[in-house]
Amino acid sequence: MKLVLDRIIMKRGSWSCAADGILVPGIHLITGRVGSGKTTLAELICGLLEPTSGELVLDGISSWMLCQQFPEYHVIGATLEKEAQSYGIVPELALDRAGLTGRGGEDPFCLSRGELRKFQFSCLSLCDRDLFVWDEPYSALDCRQKQRVAQHLSTRSSGITILFTHEQRYFPKTDYLWEMCDGVLKYVGKVPEALPWWEHAPSHIRFLIGKGVIPANLTEEDLGEALCRMQG
Amino acid sequence: MQDARLRLFSVLLLSAATYLSVAGALLTLFWLFLYPGSLVSTVKSKALYILLPFTGIVALVMQIIGENGISYFIRIGILLLLAFTIFQGWTPGEFLDLAVWLFGTGIGFDIGLAIELTIQGIKDADQDWSRVLTAMKLKGMHPEFWNLASIGFLMIHLRLLRADDQADLLTTRGYKSGGSCCPHFEPSNRDIIASLCAILILLVSFTAVRDIFILMM
Repeated sequence: MKLVLDRIIMKRGSWSCAADGILVPGIHLITGRVGSGKTTLAELICGLLEPTSGELVLDGISSWMLCQQFPEYHVIGATLEKEAQSYGIVPELALDRAGLTGRGGEDPFCLSRGELRKFQFSCLSLCDRDLFVWDEPYSALDCRQKQRVAQHLSTRSSGITILFTHEQRYFPKTDYLWEMCDGVLKYVGKVPEALPWWEHAPSHIRFLIGKGVIPANLTEEDLGEALCRMQG
Repeated sequence: MQDARLRLFSVLLLSAATYLSVAGALLTLFWLFLYPGSLVSTVKSKALYILLPFTGIVALVMQIIGENGISYFIRIGILLLLAFTIFQGWTPGEFLDLAVWLFGTGIGFDIGLAIELTIQGIKDADQDWSRVLTAMKLKGMHPEFWNLASIGFLMIHLRLLRADDQADLLTTRGYKSGGSCCPHFEPSNRDIIASLCAILILLVSFTAVRDIFILMM
C-alpha cells in the first residue's frame, strides 16, 4: 500500500502548492505555518481538489477519509444520532466516547464547536480506513482532548495516517516527518533521525536538540524521557 | 460592468427588450458578449441548466396549445442568461451603494442591506451545498432523491443559524435602522457604450413589436 504524489502542483492566481513524494503505511506528520498549503494538500490527497498538474496514485488504497478542519463541514444529519449513522457506525458508541451519552436526539449545531469536534473525532475514530487524513484535528480542543487525539492517532498501526498540523505540543508517535515550506512539501526524514533537520520544530524540541538530546519520538512521554536524559 | 448604476439601467432596458421581441432577445445575447468573462462563468453555472429545462417544458406546452413556444423559449432563455450574467458581475457592497444613492441613508440603507444579505445568503447556500456534497462524498454517500428533503432541511437550518448570527452582529454594532454609507461608482467608457447599446436594443425591440402590430392589422 502506498500513496504517490507525482509532481503535484496546485495553482490559485499567484499562490501555488507543490508536492512530490511517496507515503508508505505509518504515521506521517506534515507541519507548516498558517497559509503554507496544508489544507489544500489534504484536499488534493482526498480527491476533493483537482491538481493543476501532476498525478495522485492511490496504490492498494481502497478506502479513505478526511477529517476536515472545521467539524461543522462534516455534518449532514439533523440529530447527533443520525450524524453518527452517516459515518456507518453505532451512534451510542460515538456518543459515549464523546461524553454525550443520552443526547442523540440533539441538533449537532446546538453543540459548541469544541463539543462538535469531540463528537466528530469520536465518530472518525470508530471508522476504519486504509488512508486517514487529519487536517488540524486539534482545532477547538482543550489540552486534555488534544492529548486524547494524539494518543488515539498513535494507536493507528495499519494503513497510512497523515496528520496536517501546526500544533506545537501534542503529537502522536510519528514515523515520518514532512514540512510544508513556502507551499512546497519537503520530506525531512524518519523520526527520530530527522528531528535535528526539522526547520520549524517547536521551541522545546529545538531546545532539547540544542542540548544534544534527541527524543525517541514526539509523544509527551518521549519528550519527558528526553528531558530526564538531559538533566541526568 | 464596473458602475452598478449603469448596470441596473442596462439590465432594466435589456430585460424589457428581451421580453418584448425575439429580435430584442437576440440583440441582448450579442450585448452579453461585451462582457465575455461573466458570460463564460454563466455558461458554466449549473443552476442555469437546472432552470432552462423548466422553460423548455413551458415552451413545449405553449407550442402544443397553439401559442409561439419557440419565441417564448428564446426570450425567457436569454432573459435567464442576462440575469445570471449580471449576477456574476456583482461585487459585495454594490447594492448597498446603489440603494443609498437612489433612496438615501435612511430607507435606502435598509433596502441595500436587505439586498446584500439576501445575495450573500444565495452565495452561502451555494457553498453549503458544496460542503454537504463533500461531506457525503467523504462518507461514501451520494445525493439521492430520498435524502434531498433532509439536505434541504439542513441547508435551511444553516441559513437560519447564520441569519441569527448576522442579527446579533448588527445589534452589537448598534444597527437600528439606516446608516452612513458613501456610495462610490467608477463608470468606464465601456460601461457607457454598453448602456447606449442597451438603449438602442430597446428601441429596436419596440420597432419590431410595432412592425408586428402593423402586419397584424
